Amino acid sequence: MKHIDAATHTRGESQYIDDVPQPEGMLHAAVFGSPIAHGRLLTIDLDKAREVPGVRTILTADDIPGENQVGALIADEMLLAESTVHFVGEPIALVLAETPATAHKAAQMISVETEALPVITDPRVAFEKGEIIGATRTFVLGDVDQAWKDCDVVVEGSCEIAGQEHLYLETQRARAVPREDGCLQIYASTQSPYAVQKGVARILGLPHHKVEVDVKRLGGGFGGKEDQATHWACLAALGAQITGKAIELVLPRHQDMVMTGKRHPYSSDYKIGLKQDGKIVAYEARHYQNAGAAADLSPAILERTLFHSTNAYFIPNVRAFAASCRTNLPPNTAFRGFGGPQGMFVIESAITKAAETLEVTREEIQLKNLLQDHDIFPYGQQVHDANIRRTWQEAEKSFKLKNLQKRIREFNDNHFEKKKGFAIMPICFGISFTATFLNQAGALVHVYTDGSVSVSTGGVEMGQGLITNLAKIAATAFGIDEARVKVETTNTTRVANMSPSAASATTDLNGNATLAAASEILQRLKSFAVKELNLSHPERLTIEKETLLFEGKETGWTWQKLVQSAYFNRVDLSAHGFYATPGVWFNKDKEKGHPFAYHVFGTAAFEVTVDCLRGTYEIDKTKIVHDLGRPMNELIDRGQIEGGLAQGLGWMTLEELKFDDQGRYLSNSLASYKVPDVFFMPDDLEIKLLENVNNTWGPYGTKAVGEPPLMYGIGVFFALQDAMRAFRPEMPLTFDTPMTPEKVLMQLHRDEIEGFKTDSDVMADHQEQPVKETE
Amino acid sequence: MNVCVTVNGKVYERVVEPRLLLSDFLRHELNLTGTHVGCEQGVCGACTVLLNGDPVRSCLIFAVQAHEQEIMTVEGLAPAGTDKLHPLQEAFRDAHGLQCGFCTPGFLLTLLPFIEENPNPTEQEIREALSGNLCRCTGYQNIVKAVKLAVETAERGE
Ligand code: FES
Ligand code: FES
Repeated sequence: MKHIDAATHTRGESQYIDDVPQPEGMLHAAVFGSPIAHGRLLTIDLDKAREVPGVRTILTADDIPGENQVGALIADEMLLAESTVHFVGEPIALVLAETPATAHKAAQMISVETEALPVITDPRVAFEKGEIIGATRTFVLGDVDQAWKDCDVVVEGSCEIAGQEHLYLETQRARAVPREDGCLQIYASTQSPYAVQKGVARILGLPHHKVEVDVKRLGGGFGGKEDQATHWACLAALGAQITGKAIELVLPRHQDMVMTGKRHPYSSDYKIGLKQDGKIVAYEARHYQNAGAAADLSPAILERTLFHSTNAYFIPNVRAFAASCRTNLPPNTAFRGFGGPQGMFVIESAITKAAETLEVTREEIQLKNLLQDHDIFPYGQQVHDANIRRTWQEAEKSFKLKNLQKRIREFNDNHFEKKKGFAIMPICFGISFTATFLNQAGALVHVYTDGSVSVSTGGVEMGQGLITNLAKIAATAFGIDEARVKVETTNTTRVANMSPSAASATTDLNGNATLAAASEILQRLKSFAVKELNLSHPERLTIEKETLLFEGKETGWTWQKLVQSAYFNRVDLSAHGFYATPGVWFNKDKEKGHPFAYHVFGTAAFEVTVDCLRGTYEIDKTKIVHDLGRPMNELIDRGQIEGGLAQGLGWMTLEELKFDDQGRYLSNSLASYKVPDVFFMPDDLEIKLLENVNNTWGPYGTKAVGEPPLMYGIGVFFALQDAMRAFRPEMPLTFDTPMTPEKVLMQLHRDEIEGFKTDSDVMADHQEQPVKETE
Repeated sequence: MNVCVTVNGKVYERVVEPRLLLSDFLRHELNLTGTHVGCEQGVCGACTVLLNGDPVRSCLIFAVQAHEQEIMTVEGLAPAGTDKLHPLQEAFRDAHGLQCGFCTPGFLLTLLPFIEENPNPTEQEIREALSGNLCRCTGYQNIVKAVKLAVETAERGE
């Protein structure tokens, strides 16, 4: 089935929030944000801004009628700053004007007086100063302290893992429209309509039912609109409540980059102990998460770092510690992988370092320690259907990896300045929200008398193909043509208390809820039909290709006739379905449980070529074997794998977030923050799906696909390092991401380039010239 | 200032601020919201439209610069008044060259003159043609495939 929106997307008819014709008298909002990263807010001068013709009003924290709070997990983040600011860009005032241009012009004329406080940007510094958000966490398996002495080698080191800008192509935006009786209707670009509903209600002091949130689609989300879409919707709602006018807020790209959080940078330490034969005996990791200025979703993300701290390996003795550290950067937030990728990067770094010491290849250690059925994760869950070895073997076989490696060696023997590198990246990713209560979903299904079907769920379409999948699920369940099914906007009045579209679980949860609703309607239809047809055993009725069959034989009734007759006989043709993932739980006191319904596995192999005189590189080949269960929409799922891979590759290589030590964001536009373009992607990308796998959890045997492929990207870092080592075998291994071409060059020629400017010189230069802030 | 432009074959006349961007003009004055704005600085290509047949970034041009010229936006691609798609649009659908769809109009308009001028492009030429447009969702593989598909369809004369 093709992407359901393909026609409207390509005709330019798909409507995003600000494409919908605006209500009469709508005003436009612009945000004024803090010019400094930490300080006391002494005065706010709005006078000049107020004088700009076309400005209606300017709102500050004093205008908030309810609670000035948007912290989802911990109440530590204000919608509009009151007496202190905690990061550059933190919203302070909201200008409402007749046009967006006027609003932005006026916002630039706002000024504040502040008294600077010390700025922290480094999570290790924050940790030492006790700036820790929530509790620190430790997952333990076996006894690491005892185990070190059983090891033949023990190596230690550290990693500096960079964050990542989401760069959804559609920036954050929302429109709030006042309705009668003090109600508000919010159109938001959010992955979490319920979070917006709760957030707006809290800010305005309203009950939830007075706030209706409606989401048609997002121009990309990737986690960046899971929690952080709420702020902008709340601001629009505040404006609407106070002025009585519709308000639209669209963040310009620059402000979106400065004001919103990103993937968390991590500083991590590792220690790994192995037997001579490569068997890992013990592993210890300490993760310092750079949470930014507020909790946001950081504690939950931290948890997933621990869940994935041993990636696809079984290690009998593990101690993984993690702390969420408060700094003066924008509050970092969910991003595809949700902390998992950072945990995996660290274990992969540890394995790389160990391979160097043992003088074996990375792959030998990786393969030796891959998970097998019934192995235990540090969080207490046993692994089932551990397809990781199968994906590895399949990759070796179908892509002839041994030959590939041989050719790479030959190439390197025969070339001087160009070197090739190779790496394999196995992944294991747990599916379910790790906060167990979120693993629930509702769906509302209507069948109309003409046989057409309407499906509403709590899932949000952000390009991932959710509504296409839901249409297919409903059509398959009813045995009807897909064209009969329409998936509606995501609306809080049709489905209540919905979980965010996140954790790769959106299709699993909402698809299963849709199935539950459909099967209830089917049951009613069948009970009715057996009576009318003078049969018994409703369960022997099926619908195939819109025809009602009894024990496989035609009954003479079509879907349409069935529906119509049922209607005239007063059969309810609507149902609400509910699904809660069974069997998942987690005990935080013991840090043990069964948090995941299942795991997704896969193996990727990379070949890269590095120009060792220039630092530039190419990703020649990426070969993947991925476990999708039984794909329902292979075209769409493959699209997710490729897109996830592209983001993972970008994170590891090109995408460099730069902050100075005053917390000012230097790579704050698309001109200074580089994401993969078509040239960057490997020319030779092959994805094989693991065959003959089933999955009892996903609708029709599917497996979740959104996040796991991102983590394949980690492999490219080690492939580049492998190539660099071929040029300069004595080069010390460092694990700082991203591996930009500049960094490749610096690492290869550190000695020769002494005297040239280093990264930190460049940073220092930036600090000397004050960066002009326009918020 | 007065601006008179032909957009998708239709003549529009408006009085606008001299500094109004073409992208805002199309979206807000003419309600042609298929032109999307992603970066506002000429990097992402989402806002690409054709000016006298050549792809330009409408976020980098003032509306008045298009005075007395011809513009084509994504809305002008499919045969008007039908629910048919242009072969390039069909190819994007069939090769799944889109996900969230935000970048799609810009890709289509970049490609339209490219395919007309290069009826038999090599893969390298296709990548070259696409290199000024960013997509954060797809990883580009299916976009490249879509172009190939469109070229093949055109070759078969369909
Ligand atoms: S919006 Fe014009 S190029 Fe990005
Ligand atoms: S499809 Fe989302 S940016 Fe290209």
